Amino acid sequence: MVCYLIVCRSLTYAQRTERALAKAGVNAHILRSPKSIGGEGCSHSVKVAARHFSAALVVLARVGLSPKRVFAAHEDGTYEEVSF
Amino acid sequence: MVYLDSAATTLQKPPAVARAMAQAVNHLASPGRGGHRPAMEAAEIAFDCRQAAAELFHLSDPENVIFTLNATHALNLAIKSLVKPGDTVVTSGYEHNAVTRPLAALGCQIKVARGALFEPGELLTAFDRLVTPEVSCVVCTHVSNVFGYILPIKEIAGLCRARKVPLILDASQSAGAVPIRMDELGCAFVGMPGHKGLYGPQGTGLLLVEAGRMTEPLLEGGTGSLSARQDMPDFLPDRLEAGTHNMPGIAGLLEGIRYVQAQGEGKILRHEQALTALAARELGRLPGVTAYSARRPETQSGVLSFVMEGIDCEEVGEWLGERDIAVRAGLHCAPYAHETAGTLETGTVRISFSGFNTPAEVMKLVSVVAQMKR
Repeated sequence: MVCYLIVCRSLTYAQRTERALAKAGVNAHILRSPKSIGGEGCSHSVKVAARHFSAALVVLARVGLSPKRVFAAHEDGTYEEVSF
Repeated sequence: MVYLDSAATTLQKPPAVARAMAQAVNHLASPGRGGHRPAMEAAEIAFDCRQAAAELFHLSDPENVIFTLNATHALNLAIKSLVKPGDTVVTSGYEHNAVTRPLAALGCQIKVARGALFEPGELLTAFDRLVTPEVSCVVCTHVSNVFGYILPIKEIAGLCRARKVPLILDASQSAGAVPIRMDELGCAFVGMPGHKGLYGPQGTGLLLVEAGRMTEPLLEGGTGSLSARQDMPDFLPDRLEAGTHNMPGIAGLLEGIRYVQAQGEGKILRHEQALTALAARELGRLPGVTAYSARRPETQSGVLSFVMEGIDCEEVGEWLGERDIAVRAGLHCAPYAHETAGTLETGTVRISFSGFNTPAEVMKLVSVVAQMKR
């Protein structure tokens, strides 16, 4: 697995998420959600490296930001929803 | 030019405002409308602006900072989210048409809490009497745009909280000068312009929304989110921000807010109050001039109205304008305020300050007004 995509309800929510992670020293960046995982149309996701994912979840829980959905992005280009 | 019409729009802006706007025109695209660099850079500026506003007004969540066209747009969003046609609404006797016209259009029964100028006790007594269980909301200005009267908003907000009546605050004349704490006031909504005390450009405004508050869009359209659905998103800010953002305006507003933060709200207010006191004292010395000033200076901001006996207020405004002094005469879109103060028939001449005005400009005004008398 290459990375995780935290799907956010809005761009602003994604920005809050990214900044909270950055403040805690977790590298992340915003991208438009791949169409196949976007759900009901356009959305934004926060991309986190697999090795930082656990730390990211801890940070987000601490600041009260709940991910809408999370997908693991595999090397073969597929996405798999993960529960957390 | 001596510009004394900042209650309408601040003309002198921090230089960073125009620079940021020019940069935005040339380099920023639309937040949420693409993952490319110009779109993402625009998104960063928009988020920075929301966050700066959230910090300035003590709001925990920047998602609850909504970009609007102006204060009127913000107040319409707030009113039309809370008030249904025919509802009973309480306002102060100092409201602007930006509040009273939407209420009138909804066919509301408007109960007006009146109290004499600069007498907060009288006003609180009136609110205490009128805010009853059948009232759907209170809409109240923080500072009168005609007289600079700083209303006792903490007490009014406390009364609303105690009676579980939502409060909409019109911060058109206070934002950037008089401190506003969303976390302490507990307002349902606060509406404000970006182009007055926040030193942003025209075409900008903000609506602050209480956490969890239901809202109703005035416009439906694209938001860059949930695009497969035909109803508007149920989350903020997207729910209230259909269509492309005014990125040059938002970039300028961000710099305006940063200027206010750097100055400190208290400093700007004290400066404006000192100018108001000087103008009131010097104008009041001229024969036939009545300046509406507070006995307790802390109850008046950087706005002062005056009248000249036997001379139409619009003539005074013209006279001053011809001599390169910008003021505003008439009713200032606030007939309620003039009715309360007893100036509905005459109107007033209003001077209003920003952080950029000087005592020398006040003395120039006084000297030109004195010449008119002669």
